[in-house]
Amino acid sequence: MKSLRFPFVVFAGLALSSCENFLDVPPQGVLLEQDALQTPEDHEELLNSCYDVAANTYNGRLQNLFELLSDNLAAPNNNSDYNEVYNRNMLFFNSTIGGTYGEPYIIIYRSNTLIERISGSGLTPERQTSMSGEAHFLRGMAHFELVRGWAQPFGFTSDNSHAGIQIKTTSEPVLGGRNSVAEVYNQVLADLLRAESELPDNNGVYATKSAAQALLAKVYFQMNDYAKAAEYVDKVIATGLYALEDSTDRFLQNVVSSEAIFSTISRFEDQRSGTLGGNYRSDLSNANPTLRASLDFYNTYGLDTTDLRSRWLELRNAGQPNQYVAVTKFNKDYFNIPVLHLTDIKLIRAESLGRLNQNLATAIQDINDIRERAYGNNSRNLNGGVGAATVVEAARYERRIEMLGEGDRVQDLKRLGALGEITEIRNAPWNCPGMVLQFPIVEQTDLFELNETGGCN
Amino acid sequence: MMNRYSGGIPSLWKAWGLAATMGIAYTASAQVIKGKVLDETNLGLPGASVVVAAQGTGGTTDNGGNFAVTVRPADNLVVEIRYLGYTTQKRTVSVAKGQTVDLGTIKLAPEQNNLDEVVVVGYGVQRRREVTGSIVKLDAKKLDDMPTPSFESAIQGKAAGVQVITGSGVAGSGSLIRVRGVASVSSGGDPLYVVDGIPITQDYFITGNGGAFNNNPLASLNPNDIENIEILKDAASTSIYGSRGANGVILITTKRGKGDKLTWNFSTRLGTADPTRRPEMLNSSEWLQLYKEAWTNDGKVGVPELPANLTWEEAQATNTDWVDQTITTGFKQRYDLSVQKATKKYNVYGGVSYDLNDSYLRGNSYERLSGRVNGDYKFSDKLSLGLGTSLARGRNNRVDNAWSGGLGAAMSTALPIYPIYNPDGTFWLDAGANNNPVAVRELKTWRVQELRSISNASLTYNPNKLLTLKASGAYDYMNLVEDVFEPGSFSNQATSGTATRTPRHVRNWNANATAAYLHRLDSSNVFTYLVGTELQSYYRFREAFSTGNGTTSNSIQDATGTFYQDDAVRNDNPFDTIIPEERYTFASWFGRVNYAYQDKYLAQLVLRADGSSKFGPNKRIGFFPSLSAGWIMSEEDFLRPVQWLNYLKLKASIGYTGNAAFPGDQWRGTWGRGTVGYNGAPILYPINYENPNLQWENSRVIDFGVEFGMFRDRVTGEIAYYDRFSDQILLSISVPRSTGFSNYWDNVAEIVNRGFEFSIKTRNLVGDLGWTTEFNIASNYNELLSIGGYSADAVGGGTNDTRVVVGEPVGTNYLVRFSHVDPENGRPVYLDLNGNPTYEWTPDNRVPVGDVLPDAVGGINNTFTYGGFDFSFLFAFVIGGDIYDSSSKRQLGVMSLGDGLWNSTPHIYDRWQQPGDQSKYPKLTTLNSELGSTTPWINTNLWLHDGSYLRLRNVQLGYNLPTETVNRWKLDRMRVYVVATNLLTFTKFPGLDPEIARDFENATDRNMSPNITYLTAPQERTFSLGIDISF
Repeated sequence: MKSLRFPFVVFAGLALSSCENFLDVPPQGVLLEQDALQTPEDHEELLNSCYDVAANTYNGRLQNLFELLSDNLAAPNNNSDYNEVYNRNMLFFNSTIGGTYGEPYIIIYRSNTLIERISGSGLTPERQTSMSGEAHFLRGMAHFELVRGWAQPFGFTSDNSHAGIQIKTTSEPVLGGRNSVAEVYNQVLADLLRAESELPDNNGVYATKSAAQALLAKVYFQMNDYAKAAEYVDKVIATGLYALEDSTDRFLQNVVSSEAIFSTISRFEDQRSGTLGGNYRSDLSNANPTLRASLDFYNTYGLDTTDLRSRWLELRNAGQPNQYVAVTKFNKDYFNIPVLHLTDIKLIRAESLGRLNQNLATAIQDINDIRERAYGNNSRNLNGGVGAATVVEAARYERRIEMLGEGDRVQDLKRLGALGEITEIRNAPWNCPGMVLQFPIVEQTDLFELNETGGCN
Repeated sequence: MMNRYSGGIPSLWKAWGLAATMGIAYTASAQVIKGKVLDETNLGLPGASVVVAAQGTGGTTDNGGNFAVTVRPADNLVVEIRYLGYTTQKRTVSVAKGQTVDLGTIKLAPEQNNLDEVVVVGYGVQRRREVTGSIVKLDAKKLDDMPTPSFESAIQGKAAGVQVITGSGVAGSGSLIRVRGVASVSSGGDPLYVVDGIPITQDYFITGNGGAFNNNPLASLNPNDIENIEILKDAASTSIYGSRGANGVILITTKRGKGDKLTWNFSTRLGTADPTRRPEMLNSSEWLQLYKEAWTNDGKVGVPELPANLTWEEAQATNTDWVDQTITTGFKQRYDLSVQKATKKYNVYGGVSYDLNDSYLRGNSYERLSGRVNGDYKFSDKLSLGLGTSLARGRNNRVDNAWSGGLGAAMSTALPIYPIYNPDGTFWLDAGANNNPVAVRELKTWRVQELRSISNASLTYNPNKLLTLKASGAYDYMNLVEDVFEPGSFSNQATSGTATRTPRHVRNWNANATAAYLHRLDSSNVFTYLVGTELQSYYRFREAFSTGNGTTSNSIQDATGTFYQDDAVRNDNPFDTIIPEERYTFASWFGRVNYAYQDKYLAQLVLRADGSSKFGPNKRIGFFPSLSAGWIMSEEDFLRPVQWLNYLKLKASIGYTGNAAFPGDQWRGTWGRGTVGYNGAPILYPINYENPNLQWENSRVIDFGVEFGMFRDRVTGEIAYYDRFSDQILLSISVPRSTGFSNYWDNVAEIVNRGFEFSIKTRNLVGDLGWTTEFNIASNYNELLSIGGYSADAVGGGTNDTRVVVGEPVGTNYLVRFSHVDPENGRPVYLDLNGNPTYEWTPDNRVPVGDVLPDAVGGINNTFTYGGFDFSFLFAFVIGGDIYDSSSKRQLGVMSLGDGLWNSTPHIYDRWQQPGDQSKYPKLTTLNSELGSTTPWINTNLWLHDGSYLRLRNVQLGYNLPTETVNRWKLDRMRVYVVATNLLTFTKFPGLDPEIARDFENATDRNMSPNITYLTAPQERTFSLGIDISF
């Protein structure tokens, strides 16, 4: 058996020859868990990736879903996912909704990771504070968008105990159920208030103290808390950092609008405005846009040609079966998206003050600032002596046209629904099941119930 | 595979030894015994041994099968004619001094029970009678008897328990092969392919699903280089492949040189290809009439709105038959030239091949140019070297199909009212380029070129007759370059066009060392031992070029042609960046002990340990044992009196095997970094959760088998039963999005497969007219026992047409039930969960209504021989299983301009038109809501059909020209034949073709969505003429 010795020596050698090393093949082109998030720069880059996802969310995906639920648009063309939203009968298979729903949670996961690990980041204490502010701003904003989209609005029940969305304040992968809308709003406010306290006044294109305050104004406005809303608008405007654009266009290429308080940046290389441009764009040859304004909207805003904003609407193939209202507002290859802007919060302040019947002069000035830009002169200005109701009505009129395509209208209508001022949106109850976006089927677990099916019919 | 612990190979060497001694003994004035040896097809059998044992002399036959042996004068001299794999024949002759005795022709019959046939098993060979596992062997004749898009397709109907679905009629398309059912969901369910010892690259998704086509990694293998394949089915045979054996193993052995004379073989096959069934679509006026009806049904008035701003008159004036424009008769041609020789010292085989396969899709072809050289060299009795290398260039000229365009567009969105050309002769693109398949074909260039080389080397050392040491290395290299050019006009861009080049490389090597030892304890107890170790490493990467601002790209926006056509584009954009895509390693140890007692009681123990970088750190190494036993009952005295039963073997096995066909590194928590992520600044972001427990899928397989031979092997066959329980099945779970992630790989599911297999071969006639029948059938029961508590919709998978439902088979059709069309109003009536009729369609009412897996598959082949003629025909059949025709829900569904209009098939004429109509399909409408949902094209079991079929897969008529005739032409043999495939199909499926493997998005899709058609191109029907010559 001497001859057997040789092979066994060979095999023993091969077997022991650092097999562990052979099996440890770190992938290339990706970072491993243990190597990521080590340096101060790593933390900056993780934060930047939260904005990156925000840019993907606000590139039109979220705005379009919201706009389709409103009365601003006609039935979409050639897009069955959008059609389901427009028809307010969404399936849990709708991948356009499902994909959009996932984005804010990616922001939330990354913000949570950052918040948990910021103290070990090696950044200066000042930067740690401001970074924490940015992370809380982004987390609050993400939860706010989710609860507005995927749950019945604030005020749907008197105590807001109805199902909201799942709050995530940890990066631990735990499955859970839906929190109530009240809980979600409390979390959103807590995050934004903390952000307000931690954010700097100036921060390039990234979140600032004003951004947190503008968003707080929006959140309070959605809660019909007019005093707080107006208060936070005042804070932003008092900084003097923001000025209305001279033109009606604030979706600018390569520059951030002077009235933008928080923008997502879209560059030629990454084109983060594609879902707006791609669906509305109506200036290319053979243009056949997916999203078109409703005829009602056209009749309200498109006929008065002294209003420069009427140029956003074009009635095409008039009288033909294929007649439609083209929207020209987004006819650009790419543009920065002002997520929070001065026009929006000035109109929030105007309506809030009107409803409070306080400081009407400021409210009237806010409206007249918008109108003078829209008409190129002061011919349509409100007189100084008009009453609160006129102020509210004017703010609401301007709000609808100014924010066309920005996803604001449906939230505004729901707010009115909760106030009892309207009962229907586009011929269906303002609070029917189909007025909220459906969750993707994968959310369904023993703990998590999807939204009611059956739509609004 | 060269381990010599079998009886087969040494006897071959012995024969050669005898042959060599004979040459010396030949003298001029001697006595001669001559004759001619024929094989079962009446062809001269070269290399057969002629042995005159009494005088210690002999010889071998020449290429024509002729022999002449010089002997000393003797009476009653026994002459034996032997050839491996054939039954030895004896002749007794008396030879006087100076006499030449002519034995005439001697026909050798193949050994029907093939008991001494050498079977390749993992890391070695065994004699057929020693095998305790379940192995099907198919030789070259059975693999290359018909033109197929790729060699593996030819297995269909020929091996019990092996389901083969040929991809489609698209050139170069791959087949879907399932051995004994499917036990995977998200990881690959295909068997492991091993070519001459190396598990080859078999990734179907390297180029994704571009153009509705999965790249076929087997297409570049030349079928003519294959000597035989073995399909290993049970744990006894597959556990030696450890974590990769659970879905079966297909061992491919390439040709080695044979015969002592240098022999050339030339073969060619020329043929045509047409679809098995031509898609029938409506013409312009028919379609317009139906569209108008839909419009009117909805209460709309006036002229219906048409797409692309066409007027009704314009539409009426056009009638384009897009099917005609996209299909034609394809022409196939193949040329093979090979040469081989074997001596005592060496053997060599070399072959070159050219194959140009035009499919019936216009503009689509697969071209393969390949060469192979194999050889063995014996340095001494103790040391030998084996080498083999192949190089192939596959070139796939692609066209879009299915959902991507081409014939798919012709069957869907390319309406007959669309013209091909504008009046000025340019292409009409008003409805989008995709709806003008002619324009796309003419203006778009799309080529995938593959360079593939599979090489191996082995060194075998036999210190003595009992011990064999062997070291082997193999390298499988693949270079896949995809080139696409699309003109700017397709996307309304001012640029001349976009050129994209994506080069990919796969480097896959393995090395193994084995030691085999034959241990004869005594005359009754024989052990063979095998131990070995193996390493394998796989690396795939992509190349791209730097764009200058820190990013890389594979596309150039302003090009006039593809990278290979446009010199400027190619020269300006050197591919200077490597982007790794996948990397993994395996390190393994294995051992096998075979025990035979009196050559009738057999036992085998196998153990393999596999470590892989794919497995999480907590599960780094898996162990895969198997135990099997065999009992050759016919060797027992009590069965000897049973004359009609000449062979009976019982075998049983139990063992564990695994499946690791999932992407590498899924267990790792990884992060990504983008250099210009947002606002021009870098980003860092998490990609995966870590799962340190990620592991292989585990199968416990129990197998019982009976092999039998009756009436002197006129009837032979095998019966088997298996039970495969698989757990730790991997799901690529779609996790709740609120986690911040979308997918996660985890071992959660359990699946059982069990079934019977029966195969039988009968030689009905053995005289001048020979008739052989082979039949096999296999049933399989498949059930998903658990999916770890997730919902039926939790598995993320591409098109995802079926679902995972506990208690149902993998790939369950989970659909809302369609009941009938309401005769009053033409609306479809569905059933809710309680079976109550409802007009409303909602996915909440989905129930399991069918599944894509067949209950049984099999084939029956008949071969007739007479004189030089042979005639065979093969039927393949599938019993049970459902086909979901996902395209018909659109071809026969809502006619909505907003959601996209489709052309219809003539089935639409069975529709509701007026109250009282009893019809199969609902009324025509432009409104989704009229069909029960605001969502268009809803899935219901109205589109689900019985998938059973019987198909005349292959008919072949061949003629071997008489030896005398071909000898006059200086040839050794010549055969001409005609072969037709897919001539007839019997099925209740109303669609195009019941054999469906659609384009797949990923492995999950491949497991769950066979038998789902979505504009899938039908199989091809071919007629070919072939000639084989050797000289």
